[in-house]
Amino acid sequence: MKKVVRLICLSLLPVLSFSQQNNSVFSGGFESNAQWYLNDKGLKDEFNNPTSHPEDPLRSNNYLFVNYAYKNWSFGIQGESYVQNALLNMNPKYNETNVATYFARYKTEKIDITAGYYYEQFGSGLLLRSWEDRALGINNALRGVRIIFKPLDFITLKSVYGQQRTGFDVTDSKIYGLDLEFDLKTAFKFQTSDLTVGFSYVGRDEEVDLPVQDFEDLTNAFAGRVSFSHNAFYVSSEMNYKAKDAVVQVNNQVNNRLVKPGSALLLNTGYSKKGFGIDATFRRLENMSFFSERGAKGNDFNDRLMNFIPSLTKQQHYNLANIYVYQAQPGVFLADEDLVKAGEIGGQLDLFYDFKKGTALGGKNGMKVALNMSSWNALSGTFYIFNPQDYQTDFFSFGKRYYTDFNVEITKKWNNKWQSAFSYINQYYNKQMVEGTDGVVYSDIVAAEATYKFTATKSIRVVGEHMWANYEKKNWASATVEFNLNSKFSFYAVDLYNYGNELEYQRNHYYNFGGSFRKKSTRVALSYGRQRGGLVCVGGVCRNVPESSGISLSLNTSF
Amino acid sequence: MKNFIFCLLFIGINLNAQSNLPNVPLTNLEGKKVSSTADFSEKDQLYVFSFWATWCTPCISELDEINDLMPEWKKEVDFKMVAVSIDDSRTQKRVKPLINGKGWEFDILLDSNQDFKRALSIVNVPYTIVVKNNKIVHVQNGYVPGNEVELLEKLKSLK
Repeated sequence: MKKVVRLICLSLLPVLSFSQQNNSVFSGGFESNAQWYLNDKGLKDEFNNPTSHPEDPLRSNNYLFVNYAYKNWSFGIQGESYVQNALLNMNPKYNETNVATYFARYKTEKIDITAGYYYEQFGSGLLLRSWEDRALGINNALRGVRIIFKPLDFITLKSVYGQQRTGFDVTDSKIYGLDLEFDLKTAFKFQTSDLTVGFSYVGRDEEVDLPVQDFEDLTNAFAGRVSFSHNAFYVSSEMNYKAKDAVVQVNNQVNNRLVKPGSALLLNTGYSKKGFGIDATFRRLENMSFFSERGAKGNDFNDRLMNFIPSLTKQQHYNLANIYVYQAQPGVFLADEDLVKAGEIGGQLDLFYDFKKGTALGGKNGMKVALNMSSWNALSGTFYIFNPQDYQTDFFSFGKRYYTDFNVEITKKWNNKWQSAFSYINQYYNKQMVEGTDGVVYSDIVAAEATYKFTATKSIRVVGEHMWANYEKKNWASATVEFNLNSKFSFYAVDLYNYGNELEYQRNHYYNFGGSFRKKSTRVALSYGRQRGGLVCVGGVCRNVPESSGISLSLNTSF
Repeated sequence: MKNFIFCLLFIGINLNAQSNLPNVPLTNLEGKKVSSTADFSEKDQLYVFSFWATWCTPCISELDEINDLMPEWKKEVDFKMVAVSIDDSRTQKRVKPLINGKGWEFDILLDSNQDFKRALSIVNVPYTIVVKNNKIVHVQNGYVPGNEVELLEKLKSLK
């Protein structure tokens, strides 16, 4: 491996000196997240055991990406290094130092061809999305060929073929895709309206080794979408259908027990003008889990995901509002009478309003209000758990409730020095239905924060949060202080205190102290503290992390 | 690991501070396809590209602040503000009502599958770059209150 890195380095030398003399672009980035896990006698789990560091207490995830572009060509390569091992609970397939992805691309106005690894998304991604999220350990790039062709300025045709990345390897299965999009505004020269329509096909071909097989190796999926807007009003919809396929309920158990098709319907509409916005989304999913290998369903590392099904709830930024996080429920799980799932149905509503400067509520500097609601239920219907297993769902009917969230956020700038924000969040989280464990958690959270500017670049931010919860770990309190010394140095201290826990030894403090340094495109951060066990979520997709304690160092830069 | 760092330093030393903006296809809020280079190439015009997301609080603070100050700044220096949303399909539908609700007066671009973000090797938002003649002339990784003052100074010096 060392040789490979040296080779890349050396091969870049002529490229670099060359790129400074003409129009070629040389760019890239480096990111490193390192953690030194420590033993912590004071951090107890539910069985009163202290936290001990894992094997290989010093771990880091490192990524180096370099890209070279010249005229219509570009070439890129990404190396990844997990030493001594990947951070806790990352995909165990991330276990070495090696070249992870690479590509060559030729792009003109009409045609765009990529060979190697590429990222792609059709529509909203309900059938196909390949992307990278390092914090979650997701990189499901496709390796193969992608061709994007624009025969006319209002038609875009994408075709993809490839195998999906998993760890430092790719799956044996093949993925085919076609996506056609028409921009009818351009085609018909609409003046005040926009209209686009699109169609997609995605096929996954995976050989399955069953003596008798009630489904095809190749699973076909189709989608249609339309998006329309007129002045301040907009509406869009997407319909997806996945043909009959084995329903996998437990990781790696692919069989003929239940063979069903899947579907998804997404509807979004809204109206917005200056100072006011409203947006509503409805989504129904039935048996829409889609992996590049069937058996991957239920894996803990977001490995081999083919589609993107985020939970449509507000991505909360306060600490305590991220303890009970909803995860979308596209899959089928027929466990017992009280726990049957075939998908989800529900919606989300957002409202934004700006009280203008000079009005009664707006005061001298205005006031901004954001209101959000979301509610998600299981599908209802008839479920047969044994012999043979089956279900029939009703199209528009609501089964058991998974989750609801109602929240309001008010931000106000008082003057050039003071700014404050207040939030109230009410959540209902059905642990039994979502996680397959037990119980229901009702919680109320309030959060208040204030920022004070001492000088143009020196400021302090203080946040206080409290959560009342009736179940599981019960009440929490949290405080954060963030001090920005100047535009380069920032320091923070935060503590989450589970004071309401019924088990006295589990009334843990999850504290963290740290600082960061930024200059131009570089940021370095160092911190010491405890990590609360649970879900870490980015963009509606989550990763489970265990409790831990230690020192972390992260660095990122781009060039 | 050592090799990685060595390689990085090596590249860093060899690089020009001024690098060209990559050409990435994006869409605007009306669904129209926009090029990151061709559509922002007016000669000597300063463009500020600020990468943000609806769920990113410091991003919103930064853009709120710039939006408030923009009328005053424009008296001192001419620049165009472009807010590039890296929201994925989970939160992208909130972009339009949010920017209107907030009354932001920027050009908004959607980087749905984060191709632009990746092309610039951006790890986290907020991330702000200043572009002149399709060259990146200034980079700001992150945001703390007060960074906007430095941004204004930088813009004035680049005029």
